[in-house]
Amino acid sequence: MWIEYQWRTVLAYLPDYLHAATLALRITVVGFLLAFALAMIAAMARNSSVRILQILAACYVEAIRNTPVLLQIFIVYFALPSFGIRLSAVTAGTIALGINVGAYLTEVIRAGISSVGDGQLEAAQILGLSKAHIFVYIVAPQALRNVFPALVNNLVQVLLGTSLLSTIAVPEITGVATVINARTLLFVQVFGIAVALYLVLSYGLSAIAALIGRLAFRAPATARARKRSSALNLIGVRP
Amino acid sequence: MSTSTLNETSIGRDIRLSGVTKAFADLQVLKDITLDVADGEVVVLIGASGSGKSTLLRIMSGLETASSGEVVVGGVPMHEPKRAREIRGHVGMVFQQFNLFPHLDALGNVTLALRKVYKMSAQDARKKGLEVLARVGMDDRAHHYPSQLSGGQQQRVAIARALAVDPRIIFFDEATSALDPELVGEVTNVMRGLADDGMTMVVVTHEMGFARRTADRVVFMADGVIAEQGSPEEIFGNPQHPKTIQFLSKVTDH
Amino acid sequence: MNFSLILQSLPFLWSGFLLTLGLSAVSILGSTVLGLIVAALRTSRIPLIPGLARAYVEIFRGSPIPITLLFVYFGAALYLGYSVNLFIAAAVGLSVYHSAFVAEIIRSGIEAVPAGQHEAAQILGLKPLQTFSWVVLPQTVKIALPPLVGQYISLIKDTSIASIIGLVELMKVGQSIVDRTSDPVSIYLIVAVFYFAICYPPSVWVTRRQRKALAQ
Repeated sequence: MWIEYQWRTVLAYLPDYLHAATLALRITVVGFLLAFALAMIAAMARNSSVRILQILAACYVEAIRNTPVLLQIFIVYFALPSFGIRLSAVTAGTIALGINVGAYLTEVIRAGISSVGDGQLEAAQILGLSKAHIFVYIVAPQALRNVFPALVNNLVQVLLGTSLLSTIAVPEITGVATVINARTLLFVQVFGIAVALYLVLSYGLSAIAALIGRLAFRAPATARARKRSSALNLIGVRP
Repeated sequence: MSTSTLNETSIGRDIRLSGVTKAFADLQVLKDITLDVADGEVVVLIGASGSGKSTLLRIMSGLETASSGEVVVGGVPMHEPKRAREIRGHVGMVFQQFNLFPHLDALGNVTLALRKVYKMSAQDARKKGLEVLARVGMDDRAHHYPSQLSGGQQQRVAIARALAVDPRIIFFDEATSALDPELVGEVTNVMRGLADDGMTMVVVTHEMGFARRTADRVVFMADGVIAEQGSPEEIFGNPQHPKTIQFLSKVTDH
Repeated sequence: MNFSLILQSLPFLWSGFLLTLGLSAVSILGSTVLGLIVAALRTSRIPLIPGLARAYVEIFRGSPIPITLLFVYFGAALYLGYSVNLFIAAAVGLSVYHSAFVAEIIRSGIEAVPAGQHEAAQILGLKPLQTFSWVVLPQTVKIALPPLVGQYISLIKDTSIASIIGLVELMKVGQSIVDRTSDPVSIYLIVAVFYFAICYPPSVWVTRRQRKALAQ
């Protein structure tokens, strides 16, 4: 009875949780897009022949990957105003997360680019395709497909990173949960629901991403993949 | 040539090499090569691994630059760095590893350059693509992806891809070496068809049968130089150079 | 860049840094031990155990660290009264969280040892435990060490999150100084340098090892 009361009390806050989740999702999507854009630029800089660009990109990646993301969030939110850049908590948080995951994505994209065999580049060159053509039509599609799981992983990382934004008073899931906990002291239920929300969101994102992946990359990747789907067909599961 | 030409350029169909050398770091791979390939001629390069034949082929196709000497392909002085790019899109190359684009189907592989470089409309590109696939006997698999094709089929698509841009010369770099023996024939048959149609071809191969039947001239290379060259009858029937004799005996022994 | 402020703050930052190092060391140990146990549980033959272990891993991988830490903190507060040792709470929280990832890395390492090794050991007459100790484990360690070290580096960075339950490690010290002096630029920069100093050298090692592994 007591347990039931506890759950009902906390579940009454569901609308607040959902608002928080929506905000977290928005920050995740925008943050990831920013991260992707930064990563593309950094990856190309790293692969370019201009030494300064190479070094700058490398510094970006190493500096971000070897310092805590919480520190980066604080720097964007608290230190930038000293330079005249005053951002809202949500904006600062989104930018910080974007910069953070962007560094990790840079390495992912570089791996993707180098996974496209040299032989294909030679074949494309001989055919007369320009460097831009080669990148857009040969390298990018394959690179993206090859590193897609890693991309999705990093998307989930942004989502989990939003949790830290509670420290700068962003009303996302963890922040809201902390407040509800302060009010009800029912930490098991309060944080339990928060965890459940994160799990639903992270698995949901992965599932949607997997669907997008399947639609976007329609070419059968390998003979092994082909055999697997015909086996699935046999037991009645649609590939 | 039976197909219409896409591009009215002045690039010729012959090759002139003179005093060509190539070194990689300390290794001298090619030492003074002088070779001419005439319009419509089929020249086959044979020799042991390390003889420099693939390197020579790659220099002719522009994938490598010679360390010294003159390389004139179709009238384009390849040894002048700025001009080397001019032959891109006008010569074809077929690789040992096929190098097809796995994310595109056969038709897609063949028409990519047509659509992007020659700016053909999707319709025209498709028409030409199917024509060229038919020429290699793969038009019924136009929508298959490389992973759904056998090695021989993939290589034929690769040849079609090279043909689609109306090349003046086609280079074959051990085109059948990665194929299972029973698939070699379908590829060499296509190559034979191209030769009969008058294509200028430079072929690096281990298939002596192909060299014998289809080559206009066989060039035997050893240690970075041309040891001997002549008609297939001369080289296979009456080899003069000791290294040629040694190589041929090893090749036909198994 | 206020250098005199930096100099004045160094002693405090240094003690925070030492706490960070201590917390890192304890949590690395804890997460490894727990991770080994969980990895072993996943390969167990007892019904339900592998499933539970899998659920353990999935829950922590899909949720953020702050929640775990807060859970541990409030749980301890409730059952031990409000004299919670923040260091222990943080260590427990971090160890438990990262053990899920360590378990996965170890599991992949074990599975990466080719099946032929087991067969060869079997033919030679080695018993399962012997095979595991002398054939599988050494190879697992070699394969899994770079990703493990990578995970430990993440753990070191994650000690900063202990600041949200009030532990006065490096991040919290920095925060307090900034609160008092309003010079976030100088202070956070120095804090960043501290973290970079402990994280960069191992990460260079990891990258080098991964490159070597790929080349094979």
